[in-house]
Amino acid sequence: MKQKRFLALLLAAVMLTGLLAGCGGKSGGSDSSSGSSAPSSGGQDAAEPAAASVELNVVTSYGGDDGHRKDYENAVKGYEEATGNKILDASATSNEEWKAKVLTDFETGTEPDVLFFFTNADAEPIVKAGKVVDIATIRADYPDYGSNMRDSMLAVASDGKNYAVPSSGFWENMFVNTKVLSDCGVAVPGPDYTWDQFLTDCQAIKDKGYTPIACSLFEVPHYWFEFCVMNNGTLANQLDLPASADDAAGQKWVAALNDIKDLYEKGFFPANTLTATDAETVQLFGDGEAAFLIDGSWKVTHFVDNYPEHLDEFAISYVPAKGERKASEAIGGISMGYFITKKAWDDPAKREAAVEFVKHMTSDEVMSTFVTTEVTALKNGASPSGLNALQQSAADANANITGVVGAVQDTVSSECKTDLFGNVQNVVTGAMTAEDAVNSAIALN
Amino acid sequence: MNSSSTLYKKKGPLVVFLVPAFAFLILYLYYPFLQNIVNSFSDITGLGTPAQGLNDPWWANYTELFTDPALRTALKNTMILTICTVVFQVGVALILALLVDSIRVGAQLFRTLYFFPIVISATALGLMFNLIFLYNGGMLNQLLTNLGFISENVDWKDTNHFLATMLTPVMWQYVGFYFVILVTGLNNIPSDLYEAAALDGCVGLDKVRYITLPLLRNVLCTCLVLAITGALKVFDLPWVMFGAGMPQEQGWLTGTYMYHQTFNRGNVDYGSAIAMLIVVLGVVLSNVANRVFKPQNDL
Repeated sequence: MKQKRFLALLLAAVMLTGLLAGCGGKSGGSDSSSGSSAPSSGGQDAAEPAAASVELNVVTSYGGDDGHRKDYENAVKGYEEATGNKILDASATSNEEWKAKVLTDFETGTEPDVLFFFTNADAEPIVKAGKVVDIATIRADYPDYGSNMRDSMLAVASDGKNYAVPSSGFWENMFVNTKVLSDCGVAVPGPDYTWDQFLTDCQAIKDKGYTPIACSLFEVPHYWFEFCVMNNGTLANQLDLPASADDAAGQKWVAALNDIKDLYEKGFFPANTLTATDAETVQLFGDGEAAFLIDGSWKVTHFVDNYPEHLDEFAISYVPAKGERKASEAIGGISMGYFITKKAWDDPAKREAAVEFVKHMTSDEVMSTFVTTEVTALKNGASPSGLNALQQSAADANANITGVVGAVQDTVSSECKTDLFGNVQNVVTGAMTAEDAVNSAIALN
Repeated sequence: MNSSSTLYKKKGPLVVFLVPAFAFLILYLYYPFLQNIVNSFSDITGLGTPAQGLNDPWWANYTELFTDPALRTALKNTMILTICTVVFQVGVALILALLVDSIRVGAQLFRTLYFFPIVISATALGLMFNLIFLYNGGMLNQLLTNLGFISENVDWKDTNHFLATMLTPVMWQYVGFYFVILVTGLNNIPSDLYEAAALDGCVGLDKVRYITLPLLRNVLCTCLVLAITGALKVFDLPWVMFGAGMPQEQGWLTGTYMYHQTFNRGNVDYGSAIAMLIVVLGVVLSNVANRVFKPQNDL
């Protein structure tokens, strides 16, 4: 009996211990460093601390389906082999949910040691909360941190400081399916492409039985919104935010939404644009059933991976312009970079490892594996090699770009843009006016 | 004899065994639930961000529940889903159970076949049905085109078709679950009752009506209560297939709308208020279902 009672008590104690162990304080993987690497004052004696293996928690947007996932894995592997440290990677695909999760991790004290994240308004909560370390502070101990980057291209936070070492940038422009255009007798658009010519071309393409524009207005209306806003304003005032639908910036947004509505009513989007996913409409373009697609530099890798035999059927062209905008003006910039968190910086075991990791990931050699045609902040520039037909087309188009500006959607709150882009489908179907959609979104910013 | 009575007299071991489970419930159910109530009255502008005090007025989210057209749509769709669940999931499961119970060969095979969808994850099912209902090159559109029923692809997710497209996979997924419960109930009906009834001339549908259904009542009631409460929690399959309110804000369910408000829009306090509504709805409906379909002890 006593044995049974003892066994029962032991079992209960084990269960209780197991339960309470889950509430323990350590936030993962940092106990292997055994405290051997105190932060060095000058950062010169990196070899000494690296002798003991350090585990770094890293979060990036190079998730499983990212076009640069392989490059990222290779770069991480290179760092691990060079230092003996281990990277605990928790990368995921970038979207609004991912951004929210990253910010939640910071709120709950489970932030990573190194974060590859957006440098715009999305990063403000962690900057304001003092959860990341500014570059000047890091350079006080490690003078060569980010020294291969042009300081003028570092993102500036609301407190005037630089926090992230920039990675490769992006551009957004118009992809065209040259085979479809050729079949419809439409010329590949040049840097002087006009909106009126575009409407004429779309009609010709539609009459031939193709879908003129591959776009899911349900999932990714923001590419067209950005360019339509620019078409109703200028490069200089692209980032002006409206206070209401009635002011100058608001009128620009309203006109942009109405331009999209006009395209929808003319039947230039896919028949199922309000229920299709981005993947479906991109496939429509890739399979040669649609002519135009506005997307970003990351999509080049998608086509390289999925349509290697048909790359010469795609080209990077120019988004049609109207008003004061030129078709050679595009959306682009550097929107992401590597942050070192305060948690890692204050941890003597991790400080050096985190600094070395960021230096490795942003070195000229590693960056050159990520960059093909994107903007970079590298002083020496990237040196991509062996460009394929599509990448060469992008490089040629970029050579003609006369102006670049960031995306206005990056300057508003998550709730504001979710509301605005969610209402695009209501605007184009007439369930809501463009003015109401703008006012509704701005109220949430 | 002595040892068992001692076990029941001494409450110590019971407490020791109950404490871990109770602590677990407090930590992961009751505390979050109470916090959710507080959140629903607070002003929280982003996921993970601290509350900026109480809302102004503090009940603002609850008044919004009554004026939000998307939530009305979500409630309407959830009610339709609940009714369809009762009619189609339990109804079809009952018919299948009666049919399988009446065959002599292959009953075990059918049990496995009908139960199989339950073991597939909702995400995988969602992707599979997405391919079936795909606009360009989807299985259904190809089939109907080749059979000559349609000349142009049908958008199965548009405002005219989305409800059937959303409900069909959900119904299909859980029919097997209720089927297995009902078959087990049918197996528990003594065969001598059927033999006696057959001697009295009761066969075929009369047998089902006068013997099977009355004796299956308690099992059926349990299935109905499970179906109704389960319908209120449906989230994963519709979310994978329809995402945020597709088409044109018509496809919301209470679960998907709450998730969207909380995780996509960062409107955590309003999401918490919707969660409270779902809890209240669940408690009320399950109570009503329990009273209406109360099992009878004399059966």
